[in-house]
Amino acid sequence: MNLKPLKDVYIIATMKAIPDIKRQPLTLIIITFLSFIPMFFTYVFGGQIIYALVGGMVGSIGFIGLASAVQDIAWDRYVKIREMIVAMPVHPLSYSFGVALSKLLYASPGFILFMVISMVFRILPLSSLGWVIASVFLCWAALSSIGFVMSTYLRNANINTLNNVSNILGILFIFLPPVFYSEQLWGSFQWLAIIFPTSNAAGLIKSYAGISPLTSEIALFRWLVLIITSVVSLLLVALKSRWREE
Amino acid sequence: MEAVKTVDLVKVYKGKETVQALKGVNLSVKKGELFTLLGPNGAGKTTFLRIIATQLLLTSGEAYVFQLNVTTEPKEVRRHIAVVPQDVQTYGSFTPWEYCYYFSMLRGMSRNEVQRNGEKALKAVDLWGLRNRQCTSLSGGERKRAVIASVLCSDADLLMLDEPTSGLDAVARRKVWAVLRELVGQGRSILLTTHIMEEAEMLSDRLAVINKGMVVAEGTPQEIRGLAKEKYRVVVEGRLEDISALQAYGRTAKFGSRQIFYFKAEDAALELTRAALKRGLKAEIAPTTLEDVFVELVGGEQFEP
Repeated sequence: MNLKPLKDVYIIATMKAIPDIKRQPLTLIIITFLSFIPMFFTYVFGGQIIYALVGGMVGSIGFIGLASAVQDIAWDRYVKIREMIVAMPVHPLSYSFGVALSKLLYASPGFILFMVISMVFRILPLSSLGWVIASVFLCWAALSSIGFVMSTYLRNANINTLNNVSNILGILFIFLPPVFYSEQLWGSFQWLAIIFPTSNAAGLIKSYAGISPLTSEIALFRWLVLIITSVVSLLLVALKSRWREE
Repeated sequence: MEAVKTVDLVKVYKGKETVQALKGVNLSVKKGELFTLLGPNGAGKTTFLRIIATQLLLTSGEAYVFQLNVTTEPKEVRRHIAVVPQDVQTYGSFTPWEYCYYFSMLRGMSRNEVQRNGEKALKAVDLWGLRNRQCTSLSGGERKRAVIASVLCSDADLLMLDEPTSGLDAVARRKVWAVLRELVGQGRSILLTTHIMEEAEMLSDRLAVINKGMVVAEGTPQEIRGLAKEKYRVVVEGRLEDISALQAYGRTAKFGSRQIFYFKAEDAALELTRAALKRGLKAEIAPTTLEDVFVELVGGEQFEP
């Protein structure tokens, strides 16, 4: 069995994160605090703590997935490191996963903190831990893949344009859909929340928290949609992303 | 066996303006030789290199690396090559050692190989003492050498370096040259692009002059120099009016108060040298350089008859 693609993911993820974290540990603290800002406002301006916490979990991981894919890969292209990697026996999926995982390491302290708060204050039952992690992981995989495909199609765009694109995508996927608020606010368009991997994952977590329970059929359906969204996004990376320029 | 072979290689960039960057390039680089692509800016050197490096798709024609087709077998090609792109920059937080480690591990080398080759490569580019310093605290030349070291320590059979020594000082440049020649001595093949004539002359087993997407000359540095219409050059420096009086002696290239006169025969060159010295001008006679031939081939200088 060829383990090189997995080994490459590990090398890229660790080398793009560990040296930076070792030399600039403050970055981790800053990213963790930044993750708390939307949660803070949601809570302070009348939201319930559970919406704030679920939004914080999905938002921090989702945003880092998008940002890593668009911004980090754009930076690699700008400094021409990506050209060196394209000319190596490295699969584009290994590269995109490695880059996305490296940034996940930055987001994980914030996520762990949200999880700990949720468990300690019994907002989420301990039995839901695995489901919460799985849903957030699938959401991250989908957003990273979308970001990676975007970055490969916008290869001629200026690095500042790509940064703006990543922020717009962040707003589109994290702040507009019902991640930090209830799906019921969308009324008859509530079903649209399932399409977005972020609001779909948030909806599942909210159901585990007991604030918007789902029937087992609906929960199963939402899981299926989340898995399909992630798999389709990954397939897009594998099949449609442009590793070699035309 | 040929390390690189191209047949009628054409590359057209389509966009707002269609640009034909390569117009049917036929080149071959033998295994174990250092081959240089020499050409002015925008000649197509980088496009050629990027196609061979599987970074860019060709429009038509064929390109092979060790008989592997770069269009249909890119994965296999990538096992054999390592590339330093033009104007490559560094991750500021990486150290030179981490550069070697990162790229070598991604090539699939073992830790022991990386340890052994990394030390050798970093010593070769004079960065061993700085191996644990972050690139942000290194000079531009040192950062460039860190990237070069990361390629030198690879196990690739074919190294492709796009203007690798631009921005390096003379001492660092010569160190890189020494390493490249040593690698060629070990049987590796190297495809290089450069603007530096001395580099092309000192390093290359063979070279090709490429201009406007076409190969205009190919051969050893001696063979290319032999293409010169004139074999001698006399550099004259001094007062403009005195130099102007010498115009009748032959074809010149003007640089203000300094002019280069070109001659087919040594006698005519000596005659001009004597005439110039008589007028109190500085004059120096020398064989025509590779740069003279290059400028002549790419038509980049306005000569006066």
